[in-house]
Amino acid sequence: MDNLIEMLRNSSTTMQAVAVSIGGLIGVFATLGFFWFLIWFAGKIGKGGKESKA
Amino acid sequence: MQDVFIGFTSITWQMIVMYLIGGLLIWLAIKKEYEPMLLLPIGFGAILVNLPLSVVWEHEGTAGFLKVLYDGGIANELFPILIFIGIGAMIDFGPLFKNPLMIFFGAAAQLGIFATMIIATLLGFDLKTAASIGIIGAADGPTAIYVASKFAKNYLGPISVAAYSYMSLVPLIQPPVIRALTTKEERTIHMAYHESNSPKWFKILFPILVTMTSGFVAPISAPLVGSLMFGNLIRECGVLERLSKTAQNELTYLVTLLLGITIGASMRADQFLNLKTLLIMGMGLLAFVFDTAGGVLFAKFINLFLPKERKINPMIGACGISAFPMSARVVQKMAQEEEKGNIILMQAISANVSGQLGSIIAGGLILAFVPLLAP
Repeated sequence: MDNLIEMLRNSSTTMQAVAVSIGGLIGVFATLGFFWFLIWFAGKIGKGGKESKA
Repeated sequence: MQDVFIGFTSITWQMIVMYLIGGLLIWLAIKKEYEPMLLLPIGFGAILVNLPLSVVWEHEGTAGFLKVLYDGGIANELFPILIFIGIGAMIDFGPLFKNPLMIFFGAAAQLGIFATMIIATLLGFDLKTAASIGIIGAADGPTAIYVASKFAKNYLGPISVAAYSYMSLVPLIQPPVIRALTTKEERTIHMAYHESNSPKWFKILFPILVTMTSGFVAPISAPLVGSLMFGNLIRECGVLERLSKTAQNELTYLVTLLLGITIGASMRADQFLNLKTLLIMGMGLLAFVFDTAGGVLFAKFINLFLPKERKINPMIGACGISAFPMSARVVQKMAQEEEKGNIILMQAISANVSGQLGSIIAGGLILAFVPLLAP
């Protein structure tokens, strides 16, 4: 990981932006994915659900 | 004698342009009601700070009241943090708990932040400034101010103005992008509404878990996420109703007032009037377009794997931005225009609430990643 960061430090600003973007998007999806799991799990513990169609 | 008329003799054309910009912001706030709580104080602050001698900022070595406010509330990020407490107290995660899958649109619609950041670097901005410009796409004023005050103080004025202006222009920006990326058939998709019930205790536990998770993933995001979730905990705990109301009203209004005029004061002619300001305004618009496109395209991608009866109306994806509840309203209105009786409001609200969460997480990750590459 340190090598990757060092390599990116020496690369162009745009490459750095691309790296931050990839890491950022993965990070947002992973973090919100974890929150989804928490909500889903709490829902399972809770009373269950009902369905309707608009 | 010249000293008597110094107020007139020191007027420059740049000052006059700033008075016009300030006047325009005030006009937009009053006449068009575009984010009036922010744009009016910003416009007035811009006029005030560009008066001759700029006494409200600094005069003869003494800090003026706006500089005192800037140092005490923006430079140390206190004002955005206080506003986050108020916003947290306003957010109801209930709709998200009922449609948890919508949370992923809150991630997809952050695409604008990152795409704009890359474009900004191609236009010659350094990584920290590019990240601050990209964060306009968070569609979340306090997050934009927080990140810009850490990474690009010189551009705080244009970034804040762009963030709040485009947030108020969501009803104009999103519909054409959505129409360009979807077919009529897709826009008339009806969605089954699955309502799952989370227990009451989870509403209390959720802000604590979100704070801890964010603190572990990106410790630098703790003030940002922590203040938002503190406000939400006050709201949901059920025993601090008066504190919750105070955070939602008095605290938010008072800090918003001070924040607006102080940001206006950062729009000094010598820093504001340049090509970069125009570029920032242009890229801010682009960020909102990419956000909308990111959400819509993600929904279309998901639809590739879903059976016909469970397909998602791709317009929902556009609600993954943080402009709440404006984006959800826009999409519901479009759904009604496409086909009367198509109600997707609950899913839209859920995605919109997710956007509030997604934008702050994206802001935190940018705060964590950028200094690693551009110390």
